[in-house]
Amino acid sequence: MSLEKMLATYEFEQWLYKEAELLDHIDFDGWFSLMHPSLIYQMPVRVNKEGTERPDYAEDMFSFNDDIDLLSLRVERLKTDYAWAEIPPSRTRRYVSNVKLADYVPNEKASVNSYLLIYRSRSTDIHHDLISGERRDEFLYEDGVWKLSKRVFIVDQTTLNTRNLAIFV
Amino acid sequence: MIKTTTKNLEEMTQKETIGYLNETVQPEAGSIPAFILADPKIYDIEHKKVFMKTWLFIGHESETPNKNDYMLRDLAGYSIIITRDSENEIRGFYNMCTHRGMKLCRADKGNKSSFVCPYHGFNFKNNGDLIGVPLQKDIYGTDLDKSKLGLHKIRIESYKGLIFGTWNEEAESLSDFLGDFKWYLDILAGRAEMEVLGPPQRFIIHSNWKVGADNFVGDSYHTMVTHGSIAKLGMVPSATYSKKGYQIHTMNGHGLNLGTPNPDFAFPEELKSEYQSNLTNKQYDVLANLKNMIGNIFPNLSFLISHTKVKGQLISNTTVRMWRPIGPDKMEVIAWFLVEKNAADDWKKRSRDSFILTFSPSGIFEQDDTEVFTDITAAASGPMPVMKELVYNYTMGMHREPVSDFTGPGVVYDDKFTEANQRNFYRYWLDLMNE
Repeated sequence: MSLEKMLATYEFEQWLYKEAELLDHIDFDGWFSLMHPSLIYQMPVRVNKEGTERPDYAEDMFSFNDDIDLLSLRVERLKTDYAWAEIPPSRTRRYVSNVKLADYVPNEKASVNSYLLIYRSRSTDIHHDLISGERRDEFLYEDGVWKLSKRVFIVDQTTLNTRNLAIFV
Repeated sequence: MIKTTTKNLEEMTQKETIGYLNETVQPEAGSIPAFILADPKIYDIEHKKVFMKTWLFIGHESETPNKNDYMLRDLAGYSIIITRDSENEIRGFYNMCTHRGMKLCRADKGNKSSFVCPYHGFNFKNNGDLIGVPLQKDIYGTDLDKSKLGLHKIRIESYKGLIFGTWNEEAESLSDFLGDFKWYLDILAGRAEMEVLGPPQRFIIHSNWKVGADNFVGDSYHTMVTHGSIAKLGMVPSATYSKKGYQIHTMNGHGLNLGTPNPDFAFPEELKSEYQSNLTNKQYDVLANLKNMIGNIFPNLSFLISHTKVKGQLISNTTVRMWRPIGPDKMEVIAWFLVEKNAADDWKKRSRDSFILTFSPSGIFEQDDTEVFTDITAAASGPMPVMKELVYNYTMGMHREPVSDFTGPGVVYDDKFTEANQRNFYRYWLDLMNE
């Protein structure tokens, strides 16, 4: 691996860690500012296939399928006094790992794949939820910073074992 | 010693438990006890007396459009295979090899004409017939009668593309079970050629299934508060938008809330003639003025037509959702998206995306409901609600008389804020628990 790619991998690892910190610290405005206006934010429904045919997720049904306007609506909603699903907010911890740079053009664009494990604890409930999956991210370089322009989150369950997705993946 | 004279469900026989239900579940008096939402004993009796008896939703005919398509579903806690066989007939089978009981199939869906058991290789055609046994002549001689070893067939019937099944051979026909409610299901699922788009969304809520059914069968009152954020975001006109319309129920516990009038046509304009040819004039009038339609087919299939403003543009979406019980305090929500097959691709996509935004696991309506469902169930759990005889108040609207001039069948109230539908739901539930 070239030094340039090593540095870029490090840079995106740090980007993803920063993102995790913003979400886990419920700074949704800060998180939203990382998004590119051309954003596509998707979480396809995972399905059980008979054998090893791929993809084993739906290409026409999603648990998230947002552009920048819809994502903005979700963030704004969380700031109303009626977003009960997250009152009080869940305690979340996002573990990001296995970060791999798939495609990289300096100061222009990049594709980054990573694994994500979210721990979620609500209120006084002794149960916790785990949401595991793979992120396939694309970035665009704009005004000196990398902005997320596409995220496809491939979740590892066909039946989600969490009461809702009032949190972001 | 501390004395106690309180009721203890654990020590009651099934007969005593049902007697206790008859004492405490009083729909006509507007009183429903909390324990029925979380007690394991009630859950067990319910499984036998409700879910093993009635018709239950399985899926939509469009989910297996081609010959030899199949899909895996659940019927009252048992895995079943739905096939469209080579004669184009939709059939249902218990997903169990008749030789030693192994599960035959484990993919969500696919296309094949036969199923081979992973244990000993028994091969079943998708019409249920056993067609192959490895080394048959060698190990069974001539004595094995394959015709007696076909898959266990399930009684299934469809209404307007909605497939239902039942384990009960004595159950009335699906058409009779749905009764007058079909008039409204025509608007939901029969207004045009409808198709399910994509796989259903599935997620777990730590809630009793009845909380979901109760919410959809008649509770429009909660939208003002639980869904207060939606009005704040301008997706619906006001917090009280959900009051206007009618609450309707029919026999067998079915019920719906019909939001009307609507100054805008909630469906694709270019399909007006298709709607008119599929519906009666009266049904079409209801459709043309429909703002939303929320209801529940007893016991656990809820449905929704919702019309909201997304990114400044009005759009409706149609969904059905099953509250599949998997424990006294746990259910799997399975939500299907339905759309007019002949709608423009752009309309289908916008409709789908409005479903995802509002009523999927990430849905900004749905997610606030799940919080409520979870906490209600937790509060109803354990021995205390029985000891303290905790009851819920279901008296809303008991002072009101139904209207007689509504265009559709059933018992109709001219405002959605009443609990007549919930009372009707629990009355039928209690009747079944007694049978």
